[in-house]
Amino acid sequence: MPIFDQGYQHWSGELTGHGWRWLAITRHGVRIGMKNRLLRIALLIAWLPAVVLAFFLCVWGLLEQKSDLVQPLVPFLMSMIGPEIVNDPKAYRVEVWTLAYDYFLLTELRFSMLVILLVGPGLISRDLRFNALPLYFSRPLRRIDYFLGKLGVVVVFLGLVLVVPSVIAYVLGLLFSLDLTILRDTFSLLLACVGYGAVVSVSAGLLILALSSLSRNSRYVGLFWLAVWFVSSMVGTVLAAVNEERRMHHQYMRAVEAEQQAARAAQPPQPVQPAKVAGGPKQRAPAAQVDHRRIWADIQREQREAAKTDWRPLFSYTTNVSRVGRHWLGADASWEKLAETVPAEERDRYLMDNMGPQYPWYWSAIVLAVLVGLSVCVLNFRVKSLDRLK
Amino acid sequence: MKPVVEFHEVSKWYGNVIGINKLSIRIPAGVTGLLGPNGAGKSTLLQLATGQLYPSQGRVRVLGREVWNHPGLNRFIGLCPEQDAFYEWMTGWDFVYTCARLGGLNRSAARDAAARTLDAVGMTPNMNRAIRGYSKGMRQRTKLAQALVHDPEVLFLDEPFTGTDPVARRELMDIIRRLGGEGKSVLVSSHVLHEVHTLTPNIILLNRGRLIAEGHVRQIRDLIDKHPHHIVLVCDDYRKLAGHLLTWDDVEGVRVQARDKAIVVETHAPDAFYGRLPELAAAGKFDVKEVYSDDDNLEAVFKYLVSK
Amino acid sequence: MKLVSEEVAATPERTAPRPRPAGGLNLTSLAALYVLTVRQHLHGRRWMVLAALFLLPAGLSILIRATAPEVPAIGIEFMIAFFLIPQTLLPLVALVYASGIIQDEQEEQTLTYLLVRPISRWALYLVKLLATLTTTIVLTAVFTILTYATIYIGHDVSAGDVTRRCLTAVGIHALSVGAYCCLFGLIGLYTRRALIAGILYSAVIEGLLANLPFGLRLITVIYYARVAAYRSMDFTFTDRRGTHDMAAAAWQLDVRNDPGLTEHPTLQSCVLILVVASLGCAIIGALMCHRREFHVKTPEGS
Repeated sequence: MPIFDQGYQHWSGELTGHGWRWLAITRHGVRIGMKNRLLRIALLIAWLPAVVLAFFLCVWGLLEQKSDLVQPLVPFLMSMIGPEIVNDPKAYRVEVWTLAYDYFLLTELRFSMLVILLVGPGLISRDLRFNALPLYFSRPLRRIDYFLGKLGVVVVFLGLVLVVPSVIAYVLGLLFSLDLTILRDTFSLLLACVGYGAVVSVSAGLLILALSSLSRNSRYVGLFWLAVWFVSSMVGTVLAAVNEERRMHHQYMRAVEAEQQAARAAQPPQPVQPAKVAGGPKQRAPAAQVDHRRIWADIQREQREAAKTDWRPLFSYTTNVSRVGRHWLGADASWEKLAETVPAEERDRYLMDNMGPQYPWYWSAIVLAVLVGLSVCVLNFRVKSLDRLK
Repeated sequence: MKPVVEFHEVSKWYGNVIGINKLSIRIPAGVTGLLGPNGAGKSTLLQLATGQLYPSQGRVRVLGREVWNHPGLNRFIGLCPEQDAFYEWMTGWDFVYTCARLGGLNRSAARDAAARTLDAVGMTPNMNRAIRGYSKGMRQRTKLAQALVHDPEVLFLDEPFTGTDPVARRELMDIIRRLGGEGKSVLVSSHVLHEVHTLTPNIILLNRGRLIAEGHVRQIRDLIDKHPHHIVLVCDDYRKLAGHLLTWDDVEGVRVQARDKAIVVETHAPDAFYGRLPELAAAGKFDVKEVYSDDDNLEAVFKYLVSK
Repeated sequence: MKLVSEEVAATPERTAPRPRPAGGLNLTSLAALYVLTVRQHLHGRRWMVLAALFLLPAGLSILIRATAPEVPAIGIEFMIAFFLIPQTLLPLVALVYASGIIQDEQEEQTLTYLLVRPISRWALYLVKLLATLTTTIVLTAVFTILTYATIYIGHDVSAGDVTRRCLTAVGIHALSVGAYCCLFGLIGLYTRRALIAGILYSAVIEGLLANLPFGLRLITVIYYARVAAYRSMDFTFTDRRGTHDMAAAAWQLDVRNDPGLTEHPTLQSCVLILVVASLGCAIIGALMCHRREFHVKTPEGS
C-alpha cells in the first residue's frame, strides 16, 4: 500500500531472553549515577591511590633492573622499608607487591564506602517513594532481574574504584619490570584483587540495597549506611582498645611480679640490723631490679598470640571485609617474611603494628555471609511482586 | 468592585524559564475558573497568590494586601494544592484538626471546625482512618477540608478534580458552588473544561505564562472574530435547507453531516442568525428538529485561543 | 481599607468563631507546629532505629563488663560516654533529625500546608528547630542515663558521684547535640546534599581537626565539649602501674606543661561558646528561611 498507517504499530520481533534484562536497569542506574557531580569527583579522587600504587610498582620494577632513574629514591626507600629489602628487590618482589596492594585496597575500601553512600541509598528507596515498582513489574521483568540490575549499578561503580585501577596498576608494574617471571610470581595478586572486588561488591551491594528497601527517604538510608560503616568501626575499636589495655595491664603486672619474685629468690638473705635508736626506721631489703625491656618483649609476644583469637574486631564491617581480602592476598605471610629483616626483639612489635587483626579469616567470611543472607531476606520481603504491591 | 486578587505587571522567572510573563489581572469576588494547557503558569499564579513564591517583578495583592511574607493574611486564604501529599500516618480528622490548630484556632474551636468541615465534604464516615488508606476522591475531599477548616474568605483550588470519579467530582462541584453562593471568592484551576464551565462562566485563560483572555465565556467568544460560530441544525430535508441558508448574507458557509441528517452553519453574526431562525420555522418550508451550537462554550474558546 | 469585598459582607453570619487577626506569631499556631514536628520525629520506625542505635553504648558497656570485668568503670565511661557517643552517635542523630527540618517537608510536598498558615517563615523554622532540639536532647539524656546505669550498677561507687557525673555528661551531650542540630539545620537549608556536607563536616572537621593540638580545633563543637568535660569531671584512675589521665592523653591536652589548662577556655566559656554558636546558626537559618522561596515540586513545574 502506498499510504502507511501512522498510528501505533505492534512489535513483531523477538524479545531478548531474561538473561540480559537486568542490564537495562544497570545501564540506566549507571547513567543516572554519572550525572552526579559529587560522584564523579569522588571517583576521580578514588583513582589517586591507584596512581600512587602504579608509581610504586613502576619504581620497584626499575629498582629490580637497577635503573639509574630510581637511584635518588633509594635512600628514602631504605629508610622506609630497610636496606636489606631494597638491596635485593627481586627476592622480596612478591612481598612488596602484596603489601602495596594491601595498602591500596585498604584505602580503596574507604573510598568504596563513600561511593556506595553516594550511589546506593536511592537505588530502591526512590522507586518506593515514587511508586515505580509497578512500572518495573508490569513489564516482563522478574524480581531477580530487578535485584540484579540494581546490584549491577553498585558492582559497576565499585569495579571502577577497586578492580579497574588494580588491573591498570598491575599492567603498568609489569611493563616497567621487563621480567616475565613477575607474571608467574604475582598473577595471584590480580586474581585476589578481582575476588576482593567481588566480595566487597556483593556484600556491600546487597547490604545497601537491603537498607535502601527499608525506607522511602534516601537520606535516612544514607545515614543507616553511615551507621553500618562508622558506628560498627567505632564499636570494634572501643572493644579492641579496652581489651588490649586490660590484657596489657594484666600481662605487665604478672610479669613484674614474676620478675620481682624471681629476683628476690635469687638474692641471698640480708641480715636485719637492729635499729641504733629505739623507734628509728627499720631497714628494708633492697628492691628487686625489673628488666622492663624483656617484660615488654614478652608482652608483645603474648599480645600476638592473643590476637589470633580476639573476636572483637568482628564488630566492624570494614574490618571483616579487609580481613578476607588480606587473607586472599597473602598479606600476613608477606609481613612475616619482611619481619625477618627486623631485629628479633623488635619483631613482635613490628608484626603487631603492621599485621592488623589476626583471628581466622573465615570468622569474617561467616559474618559477611550472615549479612548477605539477612540482606537477601530483607530484599525479598520488602520488594514485592506486582500482585502483592499495595 | 474591589478585586479580591490583584496581579499588577507580575513576572516570575525560574532561572531562564519564565513562568508568568507580565501578568496584570484583577479577579473579582465569586467563582472564577483558571484555565490553560500544561505549562501555562496556573500553578505558578496560585503559588504567587498564596504567598509561596515571590514575584520577580510586579506586585501581587490579595484582599488589598501584598501577600509575600504576610502570614496574617493566610488567615483569610485557603489553598487546596495540586500535589497529592499528606502526613500519611495521620487520620483524616487528625490532619484537618492539626491544620485548624495551625490556622490559629483553639482546641475546642478546631475540633468543631474539623468535624463541621469534614461533614461538609462528606468525609465523616472515613475520618478516623489513616490517610494512607484513602481513595483518590477521599484524599481530594480531605485536601479541600483543610483548605476550608479555618473559614477563609478566599479559596484557591489547584486542580481539585484530578483523579476523582464522576460521583466525587459532582459532589466537589456542588461544594464549590455552595461556597460561591455563601459569598466566598473561589479561584478554581482545572484542565477539565466542561466542569469549570458548569461551575462558572467567568474565566481566566493563560498560555505560556501570558494572560490570553479574562471575563465571561460568551463575551470572549464573541470577541474572537477570527473564527466563525458553528451552529448545527437537524432536519430531514437538510440539503434543501442548506441551499436555502446559503442565500442568507450572514452565512459564511454550510457543511453537510449526512450521517446525522444535519448541517453545520458558519456565521460571524450568530445573534442575527438566531433572530431569523423563527421566521424560517414559521414559514413551514423546513421541519427543523434541533438547533444547537457546541461552539459557544469554553472548549471552543480554549481551542481557538490556545492554538493561535 | 476594607479587607472583605462588599458582596461577601452581605453573607449570612458565620458559624465558626473567627481567629483574632494577628501577624505570624500566634502562639496557638506555633504550639500546634511544635507538637506536629515532635509527632513527626517520633512516629514510625525512625525513632525506633535511633533508639536501637542509642542502646548500643549501653549494650557495649554490658558486653565489656561481661568479658572484661576488671576494667575500671571510669575507663568504660570514658570510652563509651566521651568517645563513642560524642564522636559518632550525637552527630548522627543530629544529621537524621536536623538536616531535614525543612527539606523533608519540601520533598514530601507537605511544606505547602505550613506556608499557607498564619505563621511567619522565620518562626516556622525556629519552632521546628526547637521541636527537633527537644526530641534529640530528650533522646540523648535518656540514653546517656541508661548508659551510665549499665556502666556503674554493681560497682562500689557512691550514688552521688555517679549521679553528678551522669548529669554533667547529659549536660555536655545536650549542648553538643544542640549545637550539631542548629548547624546541620542551617546546612540543610543551604544545600540539598546536607547528608554529604554533614558527613564531611563530622569526619574532616570534627574527626580530624579536633585532634590537632593547635588552633584549628577551636572551630569544632567537640573541642569545647571535651574541654568542658575535662574541667568539670575527673578522668584519672590509679592502678599499680601508676596514675593515668585518660582524657589528657586522648584529647591532646598538654597538662604536663599547662596543668591549669590556662591556654584553653574555661567551663563557662565553653558553654557560652556552644550556646552562642547554636543561637547564631539558628538565627541565620531563620533569616534564610524568611527570605527564601521553597519550590515544592508539582508535575507541571518541578
